[in-house]
Amino acid sequence: MFKAIVSAATLTSALDSVSVLVDECKIHLEEDGLEIRAVDPANVGMVDLSLDAAAFESYEADGGLIGVDLSRLEDIAGMAESGQLVQLELDEETRKLHIQIDGLEYTLALIDPDSIRQEPDIPDLDLPAEVILEGKDVNRSVKAADMVSDHIALGVKEADEYFYVDAEGDTDDVHLELTQEDLIDLQVGPAHSLFSLDYLKDMNKAIPSDTEVTLHLGEEFPVKIYFGFAEGQGQVTYMLAPRIQSD
Amino acid sequence: MGNAALRDIAVIEEIPFDDIEGVVAVDAHNWLYRYLTTTVKWTNSGKYTTSDGTEVANLIGIVQGLPKFFENDIVPVMVFDGGPSELKDDEIESRREQRRTYEEQLETAREEGDQVAIAQLESRTQRLTPTIQETSRELLRLLDVPIVEAPAEGEAQAAHMVKRGDADYVGSEDYDALLFGSPLTLRQLTSKGDPELMDLEATLAHHELTLEQLIDAAILIGTDFNEGVSGIGPKTAIKAITEHGDLWSVLEARGAHVEYGDRVRQLFRDPNVTDDYEFDTSLDPDLEAAKEYVCEEWAVDADEVARGFERIEEGVTQTGLDRWT
Repeated sequence: MFKAIVSAATLTSALDSVSVLVDECKIHLEEDGLEIRAVDPANVGMVDLSLDAAAFESYEADGGLIGVDLSRLEDIAGMAESGQLVQLELDEETRKLHIQIDGLEYTLALIDPDSIRQEPDIPDLDLPAEVILEGKDVNRSVKAADMVSDHIALGVKEADEYFYVDAEGDTDDVHLELTQEDLIDLQVGPAHSLFSLDYLKDMNKAIPSDTEVTLHLGEEFPVKIYFGFAEGQGQVTYMLAPRIQSD
Repeated sequence: MGNAALRDIAVIEEIPFDDIEGVVAVDAHNWLYRYLTTTVKWTNSGKYTTSDGTEVANLIGIVQGLPKFFENDIVPVMVFDGGPSELKDDEIESRREQRRTYEEQLETAREEGDQVAIAQLESRTQRLTPTIQETSRELLRLLDVPIVEAPAEGEAQAAHMVKRGDADYVGSEDYDALLFGSPLTLRQLTSKGDPELMDLEATLAHHELTLEQLIDAAILIGTDFNEGVSGIGPKTAIKAITEHGDLWSVLEARGAHVEYGDRVRQLFRDPNVTDDYEFDTSLDPDLEAAKEYVCEEWAVDADEVARGFERIEEGVTQTGLDRWT
């Protein structure tokens, strides 16, 4: 059983943060909210999302599992204006999701969850550095790096206590330093890893510029990017594997 | 050289580097030659000439050319030509003749001190000397880039490797790759910007031809191995093959003749290739040794290769998250 009413903005934020990595996903309809976990086909980027029942106008579920085509669902959610409410109801017998936006009724055929890529195991990471910054700074870093290169280095300079972003292109370089003062918080630790901008750019699309973003970093380790949405009642954690020296 | 007229026939489209992944079987002579000519054109020859006058511009070319693969997570496998096909002798002879002409012009330009002409002509007179052959292989070995020695045409061998599924693309500027049956060929790997993808299946479907017919059409137009029939361009060739079915019927209908037509045809249909190769696609370049080889042993100006080596060093690989689970 699943029946919920949610604002179009919240639904769209949730879907967008998953669709930057995958086209289809499984959604766990837990009693206390929705949960999605997915990894891209190359196993490089992962998303772990939860949207608490409190983020909904009303929410009833009992632990079911559905598979959805994200772009279809996004298109439907896009039919609503951001303040409008979207009503979702699962028809267990036909395995279809009934969606209502004002007078508009849409019946979405679901995908067999077994046909969707298996959900990833969450890597067990002990990341020594933590950087908390504003979404707009993540935004700016990614944008600047993208002008010169395909990769971006993220690291923490322990001695001087700052977080840095480096990108080196064929001819031009970008370097950005954010000190304690520029950041919301910084816990120094040995950290320097290189990431593909293709992935980071996509993840960045889902990060609101006015939100607080937490980065966990290590030396040639995946980065963990955490942020909240829907007034903190939705949580997204991205994990992105680094590029490292071939061995 | 290959047959540029094939461009009018081939289905080619630009492809972003991001969309390319896997192994590219590179026609090594073709690739090297491109870098060699640009290096010679833009770099003062003193930077790559040893004290005894040996020129190793190829080493600069390789260091500048490889990062492009590494940075895009593409593994290059360098396929070197074996002996030239007997039939290609004419082409080689005419290239030699042309080179002699250039060399004479170069002499004159040097006497007259015409710097622009000197630079242009120097790049045209480049050839793959035994030193270049040898040092290129050694540098590639140090950088752990796989090498495959073709029994004859490197391009045919590269196409064969893609057909067998051991590589994903042939890398060559040469349109002949199509005739050797290369399913997917990447062109302009040596240029700035995105490469072009030449698709055999799409080409055949577009013209409703079989590969055998495409080869016949190319023979009519002219290949590296034969003179074409005069007055037959790409369009006429396709039309004629479609109408008459194959090379012989077209020649008969036109009362024309192609010397060694059957052998040229055989050369494309059943080229001399080998299954006897193996390579490891996880690369572990020894940068220190490579730098020493280039800058110490062959006394290439370190500044010329610094950026290239730096890019190779950074040309690192993408890991998967499963590594941490």
